[in-house]
Amino acid sequence: MPLVNNKVGDDVTGETDKALVDEQALVESLMKVVACYKHLASCVGGCTDTLQLRNELRQTREKAQSLAVACCQRLTSRLRDKSLPEEDRREMELLWVAFSSGLELLHVDLCKVFGMANNFCLTNTDAFVQTGMQGGGSKVAARALSLPDLHASPSPALPDSLEAQETSTMEQEIHRVDCMIEDMELKVNVLRWTVEPRGGRGGPEAGDPLSSSDSVSVTLLSLQEEGQERGGDPPHRHVFMALLLCGAALVVATLSICIVLFS
Amino acid sequence: MTIRNTIRDHGQRFRPRMACLKKAEAVLLEMQDPKTGVKSQPQRLVITTIPHAIMGEDIVAWLADRFNTDTQEARSLGCMLVAFGYIYPLQDHKRLVLKPDTSLYRFQTPYFWPAQQWPVEDTDYAIYLAKQNIRKKGILDLYEQEQYSRLHKWMNHKWDFIVMQAKEQYRAGKERKKPDRVVFDCQERAYWVVHRPPPGTVSAMDYGLNRLVDPNAEEVKGEKHYTKTPDFYERIMIFTQQSIMRPRVKSSVSIGAMVKYCTTYKNHDPFLAQCLPSNPWVTDDVTYWTLNMTNVEIPTKMRVERWTFSFGELLSDPRGRDDFRLFLKKEFSGENLAFWEGCEDLKWGTAATMKDKAQQIYKTFLARGAPRWINIDGKTMEVTVKGLKHPHRYVLDAAQTHIYMLMKKDSFGRYLKSPVFKDTQKKAISPDQHQFSEGQLEQNAKKRRPSLSPIALRQREEEQRAKMAASGPVDITQLCRFTAPVPHLSVYSGISDPPSANASPPLPFLSHTPACPSPISVAIDSTPASERRGGGNAAREGGGEYNAEGGGGSGGGVVAGSKSRVALSLGRLLKRGCAPSAVFASLSPKCPAPASMSSRVQPISTDQPAQAPPRRIANFFQIKVDIPPECRIYPIDSEEEEEEEVDSRRGSRGGEGTKEIICPWESLTPQDGTG
Repeated sequence: MPLVNNKVGDDVTGETDKALVDEQALVESLMKVVACYKHLASCVGGCTDTLQLRNELRQTREKAQSLAVACCQRLTSRLRDKSLPEEDRREMELLWVAFSSGLELLHVDLCKVFGMANNFCLTNTDAFVQTGMQGGGSKVAARALSLPDLHASPSPALPDSLEAQETSTMEQEIHRVDCMIEDMELKVNVLRWTVEPRGGRGGPEAGDPLSSSDSVSVTLLSLQEEGQERGGDPPHRHVFMALLLCGAALVVATLSICIVLFS
Repeated sequence: MTIRNTIRDHGQRFRPRMACLKKAEAVLLEMQDPKTGVKSQPQRLVITTIPHAIMGEDIVAWLADRFNTDTQEARSLGCMLVAFGYIYPLQDHKRLVLKPDTSLYRFQTPYFWPAQQWPVEDTDYAIYLAKQNIRKKGILDLYEQEQYSRLHKWMNHKWDFIVMQAKEQYRAGKERKKPDRVVFDCQERAYWVVHRPPPGTVSAMDYGLNRLVDPNAEEVKGEKHYTKTPDFYERIMIFTQQSIMRPRVKSSVSIGAMVKYCTTYKNHDPFLAQCLPSNPWVTDDVTYWTLNMTNVEIPTKMRVERWTFSFGELLSDPRGRDDFRLFLKKEFSGENLAFWEGCEDLKWGTAATMKDKAQQIYKTFLARGAPRWINIDGKTMEVTVKGLKHPHRYVLDAAQTHIYMLMKKDSFGRYLKSPVFKDTQKKAISPDQHQFSEGQLEQNAKKRRPSLSPIALRQREEEQRAKMAASGPVDITQLCRFTAPVPHLSVYSGISDPPSANASPPLPFLSHTPACPSPISVAIDSTPASERRGGGNAAREGGGEYNAEGGGGSGGGVVAGSKSRVALSLGRLLKRGCAPSAVFASLSPKCPAPASMSSRVQPISTDQPAQAPPRRIANFFQIKVDIPPECRIYPIDSEEEEEEEVDSRRGSRGGEGTKEIICPWESLTPQDGTG
């Protein structure tokens, strides 16, 4: 994580470090929530758009708001503190940039969801676009809310007032985020172009090593392209994999025999 | 909306209204209806199946059915939907076209729809590329890599945030089920192909420049915006008054005009009729453009037909203008067109050269004794000359209009019946329609090349013009009276000002023509002068208005030949300083007009006899002819001689006349007959 600051110092700096670490944690969790919100938002209007999705969206939104408010307060107070040492200030500014950009992303997503929710009303599910999503599982929302699991609250009926309530709530929240951003700009004058990022190019070296499950999705995607062109060649693929495995097994067997023979 | 900028920087950052998007959304919602929409099928991948895939041919069939059109139209509509990103292809994802076969597509989720009020942000693109980087471990397409580097440079301050957010989004995506993850990746990828197209592809989201005003914002924020001051009401009153005062035309008349225009031009409109041989925008084959270039030798039939529609059409087409110029040259009335072109040059030229150009045009066309004197009525001449005291761009507008109407009413009709035009018409080509197969169309698309840069074209034009002017202006209309034209020598006249003397490109004079072998015979054989702008002749002769030598006027217009015989004798006459008018009348039997000349032009003759006989020979011709030494004509030195004009006017310089055209605004003494 590029923003981890490993400082060793005395108590005073230890305290500030702790505060710094706290703030970093706050910002990172906000990032997480924003990312999850985006994933959830991409389902709105599609075939997986249900009341549950909207609930999840709402909960994620509320969490994002609370995080944002907390973050804002802390960062603002820290940055307005004139006695901040230079290095701390730089760190703070980095966090500030990250926080404000995250907030802007959240704002965009909120507006988009607001617009879409107005157009795609839950009462008329036929109009929802068949996007190919199958939904299922609220893992994303769970991640956002940092809960191990999210139990879907069974609410079969959809009260009409809920929609109106949602709309007004959303408007208020968007407005609140708006105000927050504006306040931030007014109170703290961070010159963004002077902020130096800590991370490198963010190129290949910044990538996480892919876990095996992801390599599957990569291959799935690429296969999707080739496979369709060839008219789907699963059997051949399977045969190839089987052959490879047999070959590997053979090599292992030969080696073990050699070891046995020569030992 | 996203970038909160408390500074009002009046920047242009709003996408223009794209009304088609809302309509496309409505169509899409109908299409995706599970009952009445396009039938979908599951897509089988290696490990899993993903539902809601639709086939290209089904889409085309559904659209054709729904909108009651043919398959070609339905296919175009489908292509548009794909190009906007409402449907994305599952194979060959970079080419946003609808293939009417079994290739699969899927509907895009509304979050990724192109919408008016959601601009596409570079930050999002950077995050997406970072995500791709993470997934594919650095293997991005070339253009993506370039974009990535560019964004890294421009958004450097945010880069930590971008990478962090990319990772978070990636991890959040992992929480989804596998097929959903695949679908989401496809959706996102399709979104970015639409909004950040790979190089070499055409993007449907190309909308030109950003606008200053947000099209989604309310236009007038109710009454709060405007305070109802008296000024406000006054503006409303002025506006309504002007609306009332506007000239009106009966709708029958205006509609009739529109109908006439449509019927005339409908075969020439590339949208309504076939473009021969083929429309380059559609087939990527540029034969049509090469056949219709400005300096082409043989024009196409359609082009020639266009010239017959109106005089304006003829003049605005450079090739048509050339043809017309050729015709006028044969008729010896090229100075009209030359004057008109000179006026256009003045109107559209640079401000620095304007004064010089105006002077030049005056000297060449308007002044008494000008070598290429044009025939405009006295009132217009008065107005023009008065205006020339303080020349501006439109000072010659009245004269230009007069000449334009003259050409239109007179020469244009004759041009259309002339052998020049008939010849052009006969030679015009009509190319066959191209028939390109699909493969050939793709080949053509690959062979697209940019056209010549306009700078190069402009330079070429200038060179051509300079060459034409340098080769000497030709107006057989104006022939020096003094010369005994030797048949085998070429004769031409006109101002010999070298083009370099002018800052502006010189007036396009007629190109040098070979001599008529026997001007006399030509004159005799040619149609009587009365048919050809007899008036012009007379005026020109009488543009011996101011001098016994009658330099310019002697051009006697068309009937060059008739003068030749008398030229020598005239020379002698002039030396003796005889009165001009009578001489002309007697010597030019073919020009009945001299009698009328006085009505056309204000004769100066009143003070002629008073002046010393051998007045300067205001002869402006440079004639490459064997002339008797006493009649040697010297070229005009316009610029240098101006200060001497006043003197030399009175001075007698014998046979060596420097031609001076006195520009009315330069001379200090009151001019005769210039007003």
